[in-house]
Amino acid sequence: MANLFGAIDVGSHEMELKVFELSKKNGIRQIDDVIHLIDLGSDTYNDGKISVVHVAEIKRILLDFKRIMDGYGVTNCQAYATSAFRDMENATVVLRQIEQETGIHVEILANSEQRFLDYKSIASKGEEFNRVIQKGTMIVDVGGGSIQISLFAKDRLVLTQNMLLGILRLNELLGRIGAGSHKTRELVEEMVNSQLHVFERLYLQNMKIKNVIVVDDYISEVVRKNKVSFQTRMTDTLEKTKQNGEFISVRDFRHFMAAMERYNRTELAQRLGIEDDNVPLLRISAIMMRCIADRVNAELFWFPCVTLCDGIVYEFAEKRRYLKAPHDFEQDILACARQIGRRYRSSEERANTIARIALKIFDSTRKFHGMSAREKLLLEIASTLYDCGKYISMTNFSECSYNIIKSTEIIGISKIEQEIVACVVRFNHERYSYQKLIAEQSPLGEEQCMTIARLTAILRVANALDRSHRQKFDDLQIRIQDRKMFILVETGEDISLEKGLFSQRADFFEEVFGIRPVIKQKKG
Amino acid sequence: MADQREQYTNPKYYQNRELSWLQFDRRCLSEARNKDNPLFERLKFLSITASNLDEFFMVRIASLQDMVNAGYKKRDIAGMTAKEQLDAIIEDTHNFMQSQYWTYNHQLLPGLRENGLDVVESYKKLTPEEKSFVDEYFINEVFPVLTPMAVDNSRPFPLVSNKSLNICALLTRQEGTGQGIPGYLQKPKKPAKESKETRALKAARNAGELRAVLDEVKEAKAAKEEAKAAKEAAKAAREKDPNAPKPAKEAKEGKDGKEGKGGKNKEAKTGKDNKEKDLFQYATVQVPAVLPRILELPESENRRVIFLEEIIRHHLDSLFLNYDVVCAYPYRVTRNADLTIDEDDASDLLKEIEKQLKKRQRGYAIRLEVEHGMDPRLLDFLKKEFSVSQEKIFEIEGPLDLTFLMKLYGLDGFEWLREDRYARPQEIPRLPAGCNIFEQIRGGDIFMHHPYQTFQPVVNFVAQAAEDPQVLAIKQTLYRVSGNSPIIAALAKAAENGKQVTVLVELKARFDEENNIVWARMLEHAGCHVIYGLAGLKTHSKITLVVRREDDGIRRYVHLATGNYNDTTAKIYTDIGLMTCRDDIGEDATSAFNMLSGYSEPRYWNRLALAPLWLKDRFLYLIDRERDHVLRGEKGLIRAKMNSLCDPDIMSALYEASAAGVRIELIVRGICCLKVGIPGVSENIRVRSIVGNFLEHSRIFYFENAGRPEVYAASADWMPRNLDRRVEILFPIEDKEIAKKVIHILDVEMADTVKAHILKPDGSYERVDRRGKDLIDSQRVFCDEAVKEAQEAERPRGERVFVPAEPAAEE
Repeated sequence: MANLFGAIDVGSHEMELKVFELSKKNGIRQIDDVIHLIDLGSDTYNDGKISVVHVAEIKRILLDFKRIMDGYGVTNCQAYATSAFRDMENATVVLRQIEQETGIHVEILANSEQRFLDYKSIASKGEEFNRVIQKGTMIVDVGGGSIQISLFAKDRLVLTQNMLLGILRLNELLGRIGAGSHKTRELVEEMVNSQLHVFERLYLQNMKIKNVIVVDDYISEVVRKNKVSFQTRMTDTLEKTKQNGEFISVRDFRHFMAAMERYNRTELAQRLGIEDDNVPLLRISAIMMRCIADRVNAELFWFPCVTLCDGIVYEFAEKRRYLKAPHDFEQDILACARQIGRRYRSSEERANTIARIALKIFDSTRKFHGMSAREKLLLEIASTLYDCGKYISMTNFSECSYNIIKSTEIIGISKIEQEIVACVVRFNHERYSYQKLIAEQSPLGEEQCMTIARLTAILRVANALDRSHRQKFDDLQIRIQDRKMFILVETGEDISLEKGLFSQRADFFEEVFGIRPVIKQKKG
Repeated sequence: MADQREQYTNPKYYQNRELSWLQFDRRCLSEARNKDNPLFERLKFLSITASNLDEFFMVRIASLQDMVNAGYKKRDIAGMTAKEQLDAIIEDTHNFMQSQYWTYNHQLLPGLRENGLDVVESYKKLTPEEKSFVDEYFINEVFPVLTPMAVDNSRPFPLVSNKSLNICALLTRQEGTGQGIPGYLQKPKKPAKESKETRALKAARNAGELRAVLDEVKEAKAAKEEAKAAKEAAKAAREKDPNAPKPAKEAKEGKDGKEGKGGKNKEAKTGKDNKEKDLFQYATVQVPAVLPRILELPESENRRVIFLEEIIRHHLDSLFLNYDVVCAYPYRVTRNADLTIDEDDASDLLKEIEKQLKKRQRGYAIRLEVEHGMDPRLLDFLKKEFSVSQEKIFEIEGPLDLTFLMKLYGLDGFEWLREDRYARPQEIPRLPAGCNIFEQIRGGDIFMHHPYQTFQPVVNFVAQAAEDPQVLAIKQTLYRVSGNSPIIAALAKAAENGKQVTVLVELKARFDEENNIVWARMLEHAGCHVIYGLAGLKTHSKITLVVRREDDGIRRYVHLATGNYNDTTAKIYTDIGLMTCRDDIGEDATSAFNMLSGYSEPRYWNRLALAPLWLKDRFLYLIDRERDHVLRGEKGLIRAKMNSLCDPDIMSALYEASAAGVRIELIVRGICCLKVGIPGVSENIRVRSIVGNFLEHSRIFYFENAGRPEVYAASADWMPRNLDRRVEILFPIEDKEIAKKVIHILDVEMADTVKAHILKPDGSYERVDRRGKDLIDSQRVFCDEAVKEAQEAERPRGERVFVPAEPAAEE
């Protein structure tokens, strides 16, 4: 029997509920989509708090969402709040209240988590997604305040970067400058190009980009509406976008823009079937897309027309194994981490060795630490980035590594997880101190501090085993016996350096797990 | 392109919609005069023309009157101002009502007499036995429910409710009785014969008196409020248009204030009036609506009936003791009933409509019908009391309010005078009684053509859903439901069974609000989620969605139709319906209900088009597409069937398409503002109207699309109110076999030679010239076909009974 799942997005300008049916046979099938417009964004701008009126409205709508979900016999539900809530002072109080009254637990998503779900939502398009990312692909995720540009090379996510080029931000800026609509184009191009230039130089390098996947609210709306709805009074050029559906060649997109320029705001709103107020935002969005496409010489746009809810269900389906061949997002996260490592010139080979050893230890001691696959992923990221701070300072590198990791966006992990990774890397070299952690890192709870300690202990042992940076421990085995962890190394090389430095690390490991690691060499 | 269309908006290309509507009522009247119809059916048609006309006065003429009062100057599509329209229509309705009564007096009455039914017009024409029967009836049944009202200085004219039948009497005081007090309020001077009967009479009368006094107090208040409201309205109107003349009364007062002499004159005049009033007294009594309008007299050779108002009129003196009844005449007033609600101000729509309903009783008078030959004093009196102008007074030669003919139609017997050529609703082969409807729908889309085929499966659809353990939710729009609707009962049952039931009850269905409020409350009590639609938009779409959880997931079953969920009208209105479980339509149905619940428009529609946002564009696109096909050298054909056609955008698009060479065949039952045969504009357009035994109600649209025909059905007409101010649904007929059936409906109606009327270039309608043509009554053709289809389906099912049953397989 199929499982019914409700995905709720409490966004900055709308609340959305999508109901899905999940089954092994048919995968994900959307059953219902309910949208309620609510302007939470302006609350943030006004006084940083959600107004009482809006709180009441959210409760009312959530209760109705619940009724709708009950109507389908929904058994699982996941609700996320995004940027509007993220920046609210009273978010926690309000969410507690909402949960109390509606029974719906709403979690706040970090920017990187939200972006990650956006990717998942694109991935929910399945085959089309896989096909598109075979070639060099850029995902442009356009938000109100910022945009997120991510790159795919050979179907792996390799880089992601946030830029303060959000549509609402640009629109506001244009308003402040007081630019007339004829100036809009030039100004937007200028602002976008200056940032893209930096991006191109620092990150893009020699990558070839063929496809641009766009996740936005304005162009997508037009594409979506004119693809299937009955809005049919369009010019021939606009008609073309309809024919090709969600895929539009960059050339056609230029025609579409040229056609757009022939109409004023009201006419355009009417022809495209969108809100009059959205027309300027649509224009900015379109100009930006063209800039980006021109800059990287892209050939094809894809507007998958998905929402966060599609990402939420994808995440759930992944977890519950409803998907036959899901895209491996963990590999994307790691690819991202490796890309960061590369940027700071860490030795990829060494990082790989340490990661391999660390993961082996993790797997063998599962019984003792009880951590999940998620922590394993964090451990792998930490191993990958274990010495990135050396790029800045050879002596103070643990502090530097910590800061680099903290200020670099690693897609797919939450703020807390990012903090955990940064701390693990830091304590790999520094003395671990519970007190210091608790005192300094207020957002971390006891549980997270424990995770840090455990992962640090593992990473330290792994690091110690490759002290000489010569990958002597390529092939090692681990056996646990009598509260001892025997690390069996089969190598002809001299490992006295490793052995000598090992005992201090072993102490900490024993302190954390209650078992003592012991190196045993078996000369091959 | 828009400029090109502009040339088709010339007012001379269009007919005024009200005048076109009157043409429609004439076509109904022609059925009452049509000797091919059985006599009783003709009574029914005449009755329908009368009730149609009542509504026309209350809504259309009233709103024109409102426009005139407000000084609204804009011209309609045919270039007429409100005043011009009003004048033309009033004149036309006078002629029309004359035709109605001519038909009644010269065709129907004699016909009835020949067939053994006498309608006795006067008490005097009764036999002595009949007289005593009628007297007895008056005392026992009528008298207790009468409330006579006198009118004098202290008792203002009572509120006479809309469309009620009343009798107005002129009285003089008998000598030696109290001054100015009607007899019924006085104690008799000498004890009358104290029979049991009179005591009972008195008791009843006292009760009546009490009621009368109470009512008067209430109404005086109401009248005051009304006057105040009227004053304010007038003031508001003046503020809008400072040039408008002040109301006569105020102007006069102003004048009186300036000229001292005026006061004296007034006094003198009042004195004279009083003298006259001393002599004559006016009184009015309502003919009780709780009693049947016609009374059948005891059996004699012929069956005979007499009117209730005639009985009352004859016994009027018993109501006004101590007074002589000089004369008495029936009258009837029709009031403005156009219901306009400001939804933005109304926080609770339900309460607002209840309020409006109370107000409806007090709309101003738009028509006064009086019996021909009414005493001029009485007529003057009524004219003043209702403040109606001369042209709105209709002197009637015959009984007022011809809707009583429906009661006559309801008399038992006279079977030979009734229609029997039309078969009863037939079973739908795909949906035999007792079948599992969901299983049948899974076998493929199911088409229904009512009333030729039974409406029962639609009721069963909801009823089965209510009991089906796999059903999770039922959603339905209800516009006009019948009394004791089995659908309502099924919905309530479903809610009790724990299904999630969402019902959209449209409160604004004209003249049906009272009914709807009752249903809405009842459903709410049963645990249904009742919604009332979107502010400012009437929900006219007819859609039901059943969500069922099946082994392979959620499946949605949808019923879409052109007619209301009303099992009573489904026996009289021709409508089509579709049951389907197609995924794309199911998704759209869900989106439609989300929208009706107040959520944002969906991200996309698969197959359905909804008014008011998308439907008109869709139609225009389809029409323009035919035009473009023709311009490319393809054949272009549009066929459409609807109740009314008056949307300006659609009509100009049709003209443009016709001018380009698209053949356009329209079957429009009622209003049609489009004109045919205009050179260079509408030469390719044909319009016909079918007025037959059943009320044509389905809306079907066919577009040739260069050889890839598309067929649609909808809840909407091509009227601005449907396309711009209502929630309507257009649905495609995609199943090939069903599309054939729907096209067949259009084919047969286009070939109808019996009940079809053809629109002529001069705007009049004519019956089809039948020379050399077969007699085709499309409605009878459909009846026969439905019978045949049902019979054919019956046979194999009978055989299947003999197939030996197999033991149930192990699951």
